[in-house]
Amino acid sequence: MTALSMTAEQSQAALATDGDMREKISVRNLNFYYGGFHALRHINLPLFDKRVTAFIGPSGCGKSTLLRILNRIYDLYPNQRAEGEVLLDGENLLSPKQDLNLLRARVGMVFQKPTPFPMSIYDNVAYGIRLYEKLSRADMDVRVEEALRKTALWTEVKDKLRQSGLSLSGGQQQRLCIARAVAVRPAVLLLDEPTSALDPISTSKIEELVDELKPDYCIAIVTHNMQQAARVSDFTAFMYLGELVEYGATDTIFTAPKEEKTEQYITGRFG
Amino acid sequence: MVDMAVKASDISAESPRARTQRRNDLLFRGATLFFALLVLTLLGGVIISLIHGALPALKAFGFGFVTTEIWNPVTEKFGALAPIYGTLVTSAIAMLVGVPVSFGIAIFLTELCPAWAKRPIGIAVELLAGIPSIIYGIWGLFVFAPFLQRTVQPFLINTLGNVPGIGVWFKGPPYGIGVLTAGLILAIMILPFITSITRDVFETMPTMLRESAYGLGATTWEVVRDITIPYTRVGLVGGVMLGLGRALGETMAVTFVIGNSHRIASSLLAPGTTISAAIANEFTEAVGDTYTSSLIALGLVLFVITFIVLSLAKLMLVRMNRKAGT
Repeated sequence: MTALSMTAEQSQAALATDGDMREKISVRNLNFYYGGFHALRHINLPLFDKRVTAFIGPSGCGKSTLLRILNRIYDLYPNQRAEGEVLLDGENLLSPKQDLNLLRARVGMVFQKPTPFPMSIYDNVAYGIRLYEKLSRADMDVRVEEALRKTALWTEVKDKLRQSGLSLSGGQQQRLCIARAVAVRPAVLLLDEPTSALDPISTSKIEELVDELKPDYCIAIVTHNMQQAARVSDFTAFMYLGELVEYGATDTIFTAPKEEKTEQYITGRFG
Repeated sequence: MVDMAVKASDISAESPRARTQRRNDLLFRGATLFFALLVLTLLGGVIISLIHGALPALKAFGFGFVTTEIWNPVTEKFGALAPIYGTLVTSAIAMLVGVPVSFGIAIFLTELCPAWAKRPIGIAVELLAGIPSIIYGIWGLFVFAPFLQRTVQPFLINTLGNVPGIGVWFKGPPYGIGVLTAGLILAIMILPFITSITRDVFETMPTMLRESAYGLGATTWEVVRDITIPYTRVGLVGGVMLGLGRALGETMAVTFVIGNSHRIASSLLAPGTTISAAIANEFTEAVGDTYTSSLIALGLVLFVITFIVLSLAKLMLVRMNRKAGT
């Protein structure tokens, strides 16, 4: 376990040349249980602001579980519990005193499949904002446009904002979901296999989008697709059977992994 | 080993096997078509016999049958307005009380209820659906109505009865039995139906959609109001309509507690009658063709009301869908 945290610190040191690297989220000795099943074991990991961190690993390795801890969406279900510390800007978000709704407004999440709400495109984006802010009509228009522009959706939907979000194509729906998350102005963006239900063109659009959003957010992305992890991320965490096997700069992980398991996985020998 | 090789001639259209298949398929189609037509024939038959039976009354009273309040077996003057009014008002009360409570139970069961309490509450609601309506009637007459007479009705008379406007609904002596009591009994009776359908419909909501709403920081109430209910609206309207259908047609329990008086009183505490209660009460004592025919005409009216209600529900769904743009 010490070896793991060493790895993290080393890669952090290796990349610390950039002046503005700041640890947004620190996962410290995190354990997670589904009832009696020990799903995550002693995870230690930093997530840097304005960087993309990818979680890779075979199915069931716990990468989605880890993501679901970061906004405590697991809290919706009884029998699921987390132990350890997850610091967001130095504050432990696992603390029982944490206001879940405020936390989720700061940590946005996008899911495997597009999940537009049953309302218009405009309202989909405005929905999250309305939960927290009382904006005038004009201010809201500005915010909605800003979110849709950020997600490169504005030119495609600006003439049909009143139409249902469900009328869009799958790729557009997913970008709408990202716009919806971005509109609330979160600090962290969690993407749980955001392209697994999309065609290649929509996938590349989402990947471009991740790149463009990077300067403003701390982004964590879970992916089954290793090329995707290599393309979009600055750091990569390889997980296996609930443990963090290796964490480091993406270049390092994909070219010179330290652990044998990592090498086997990224060369496609299992998983 | 069985010889797996199939000769080409074996699967040609002329083989005995293919012919048997074709014949069975034809039989199957014929059978299902027959059942489908059977329903249509039954429906048609019911409508025709209702109209046939109602014809003498409709000829005698014309359109006035549905607009006059008089119901006098002695002079053989019949008008359906009082039972129509009673049917609509009791059903409205039932929906007004029953729908919010049902939705509340369903939301609690799907979103908030701890796992251990889910089954007991669910089973209790379903058992409520299993109580025969005659039991509701007896309980309503001997327990519920006296209880209302002693407590709720005097309270309503002293409070809401003094409010200008709606005050007229809560005036007069507390009889116990009456339109309000019938409406409340109906509310209890439709509760399990609407609750179990609403709960099932809520559970069809995709987990991911639910989580994305919570993921934006919405509270349970916000998720239910803004996402769950709009997403499941078609099923919800279906559940509500099933409850309404039951409330409109319910006979036994209503007959016990409504007072069976062919009068339209402004107060909800006064006795009244409904279409089905009137038919059930008076059919055995209906002497004379006009009387019998008038009761059948009441049945026809109920049929038409139900049809209109269902059509309105469909229309509402179409408009809701158009508004949501799907």
